[in-house]
Amino acid sequence: MRGFTHYISGLAAATFFAALVGDLRLGILIPVIAAAAAYFPDFVDFKFGKFLARRDYEIDPAPWDEKKHYAPKLVRVSELSEENRYQFFAIEGKVEEILARGSGKVSYRVLREDGSEETVTESYNSIIFTLNDGTGKITVEAFGDDYEFFEEEFGKIEEGKKLLVFGYVDVEEDCSLKLVVSDAPHPQGIADTIARAIEEAYREGERIVKIHNIRLPGDVYRRFWVHLDPPKREVRVEMGPIVTPGGVAIGGDVPEYRKYGIAKVGVPFIKTYPKPTRIDSFSGPEIAFRRAEFKGKTVVKDRFLPWHHGFSHSLTMGMIIGLVVFAFFKLIGYEHATELALASMIGQWLHVFEDQLGFMGSNLLPPITKDVVPGFKLGESGSGLTNFSTAWLMIAFMIWNFNRFTDPRPIPISDAKLLLLLAWPSIIGFGIAIVKSFRLRREISELMDYYTNLEAFEELEEVGGI
Amino acid sequence: MVPLSDLLIWSLAGVLFGALISWIPGFHIFNIMALLVAVFGVGELMPVQAFPFFAIGAIVAYAYVSAISSVYFSVADESAVFLLFPTQRYLLLGRGHEAVLLYLIGAVAGTLFLVLGALFIFPRVLPPIYQATSPYITYFLVAIVVFMFMSEWPKEGDRGRTPAERLWLAWRQILGGILVFFLSGLLGFIVMNTNLLPTTSAYTRLTPMFIGFFGMSWVILNILSNPPMLEQVPDDRVESSLYNTLKASFGGALGGTIAAVYPIITGGMGALIAGHMTSQRGDDAFIISQGVNRVIYYVGAFTLLFLPQLRLTRGAAAWLVSSIYTPKSYAEYLAAIGVILLSAGISFLFTYYLSRFLARSFNVVHIKKLSYVVAVTLVVISYLLTGPMGLAVLFVSTAIGMMAAAFNTRRSYCLGGLILPVLISMTGHTGYFMSLLGLG
Repeated sequence: MRGFTHYISGLAAATFFAALVGDLRLGILIPVIAAAAAYFPDFVDFKFGKFLARRDYEIDPAPWDEKKHYAPKLVRVSELSEENRYQFFAIEGKVEEILARGSGKVSYRVLREDGSEETVTESYNSIIFTLNDGTGKITVEAFGDDYEFFEEEFGKIEEGKKLLVFGYVDVEEDCSLKLVVSDAPHPQGIADTIARAIEEAYREGERIVKIHNIRLPGDVYRRFWVHLDPPKREVRVEMGPIVTPGGVAIGGDVPEYRKYGIAKVGVPFIKTYPKPTRIDSFSGPEIAFRRAEFKGKTVVKDRFLPWHHGFSHSLTMGMIIGLVVFAFFKLIGYEHATELALASMIGQWLHVFEDQLGFMGSNLLPPITKDVVPGFKLGESGSGLTNFSTAWLMIAFMIWNFNRFTDPRPIPISDAKLLLLLAWPSIIGFGIAIVKSFRLRREISELMDYYTNLEAFEELEEVGGI
Repeated sequence: MVPLSDLLIWSLAGVLFGALISWIPGFHIFNIMALLVAVFGVGELMPVQAFPFFAIGAIVAYAYVSAISSVYFSVADESAVFLLFPTQRYLLLGRGHEAVLLYLIGAVAGTLFLVLGALFIFPRVLPPIYQATSPYITYFLVAIVVFMFMSEWPKEGDRGRTPAERLWLAWRQILGGILVFFLSGLLGFIVMNTNLLPTTSAYTRLTPMFIGFFGMSWVILNILSNPPMLEQVPDDRVESSLYNTLKASFGGALGGTIAAVYPIITGGMGALIAGHMTSQRGDDAFIISQGVNRVIYYVGAFTLLFLPQLRLTRGAAAWLVSSIYTPKSYAEYLAAIGVILLSAGISFLFTYYLSRFLARSFNVVHIKKLSYVVAVTLVVISYLLTGPMGLAVLFVSTAIGMMAAAFNTRRSYCLGGLILPVLISMTGHTGYFMSLLGLG
């Protein structure tokens, strides 16, 4: 659920206590603590946990320019090394020598929507030249669709011409570096790193990968997807279009020959969240890969945002919050510290329960429970329907409580009738969400069968697969 | 009630007045109306009973036509401003006219929601709900403020080299927002509770502060960022879906209604709540919901002044009008709804054609030159309304408004200028803070 849904649940929790409602009427605003307690788990995770969490691998496909805060970063040739392979940069320099102009044919694999692969061969024009920026020189190569763009941008390339070119860094067989003209990083680097992290997690126990997003000038983002395919033992990364922070695609699709990055993984792994990870605006995700036992076999499991939905999202934390609130407000002499502590605990518990309606689930009662209890899959956290239904229900509870704790009642009808009159939009909303969840659960179940199909691993091994 | 023919004439005069000034960046209909009353007065040229209808025409026009200034004249260079509004992004992509069309879709939906609500729902539902919840307005208000702080999304921090650096980068922005809120709150407290500004400016004492927070700081950013004047596509084409339109309209209506009914809660705060409640996503949905939200927030809030059973005074325009004449009859309420429809139709056409004209001739006059003219005009308005000390307030509030941009935080934290002093007053601590600041 969204933050405000949790927050308003805490606001509503406080109104169930007549003493707190009485305080609110007197202008004592302390009960707002219950709302803060309800939002506390996300506050802790997103304002502290996210930044303090360990990162074993940091994938930054397109490092930011430090002043402008977007990519591509303007770098000097001397700053680049093999470690920058596939990353997206800009270099400014003079054309020193034109090494080749020509045309030819290029072949590359294309993944169709049905999952099949096809090899495509296309004609291309190309140019290869060296660029010197005063700190060193680098080979620059433009071909295919990128050559067309390059020619349009710079016209005829001649020795001595000054250029600001952008593209991804690649490494030649002789270990020398080159810059391949492009408008996006190459996805292979992301795929390779994730595959390496999974293999290391299998040996070492755990690896946490941070994937940064790609921010471009104009507050737009290059979208890309990370797709883990356990039965094929593949990590596939797909470069997508440029999108606005609101998620609207505004074009800029990359050519097919640099759209996909595929890395094979040498160890068995399973996927616990049934969708590819999409990275675009705001910030990129963290994924933990952890060694685990599954159906008697050792595998690697993924865990999306490992710092999220941990102890902060447990019922145990709710009890601690209740105790702390009670102790503090008792100490400062607040008359209704007990009610406030209970409202705060209930508010936090409502947060945990509401999140449990989704997919991720939480570690509900540590230290008794050790791992995440899967969610009820009623809807995704961003679902407008479940968020609105819950938030509206809380508003209904607040009005209902305000009315029944006021004498004479501003709305002079029975409690049951008033609640029904107020809550019907939520009842309808939850009804629709429950009906929709049956279809969602079936689809997810089919996907999860695929993602956790250990027999597929064995089959691959028998036929001498990976 | 004035004769219908007079009522129509004054309403149309209001629409014309509103339409002619609302496209100018930094101008707000409330300020201009206050200036109008201060300079010309009401009662000589215009009958006092006609003033609410003149005002409603002008406010409807503002709710529609101000889309022009927020789309075409709020262009920020991406190196100067970290995050752009969706409308600014549309403009940078040459799709400014499309953004205006999306806004207009929302504005029309908002008008329909408002008119249907005013006819069939508000008279029955609003009075009991308002009566049940109004004693707790301070609770809602403080809850929204706390949520604004708690939910601030750190835009930086991900790329820090160490955990400590990441935490600092993230919290720098959050702390910046808190600083902006309290500085604007301090300014608002002083402006509201001292005789810094002349007593003759009773109804306009907040004007220079708000011009500084939201108008002047915006205009100065335009000047500093020197944005590119890009070619615009004047085609009548929008990319959205029926689902997005309906969802955004619903969310916008919800946020607009909350803001219209409850005092101090502004359209932006209402939109924040409703956006979270309905889990909105997408630039098209955002712009549509803004159209709905602003119409309901501005026009709906003012319409409550006409509602016989409730007659709430919401917003600066309502306070200004009610100080001169408060509508009393149900006939006036129905007439106001008719005026809303009429004004909305005219404002729609005005906004649409003005947007087409601007899209075609966008790069004729550079926004930087226009911004200089507007900056001077805003200074003149502040001086005429509040005298030399108003200019001092304008200067300080402009600096605070620009701090919000510099800290890359929400501009709405500047609402602390209104929220904080009101909260202090509602909780009965004004005297305490006056002596704390050495002012009383």
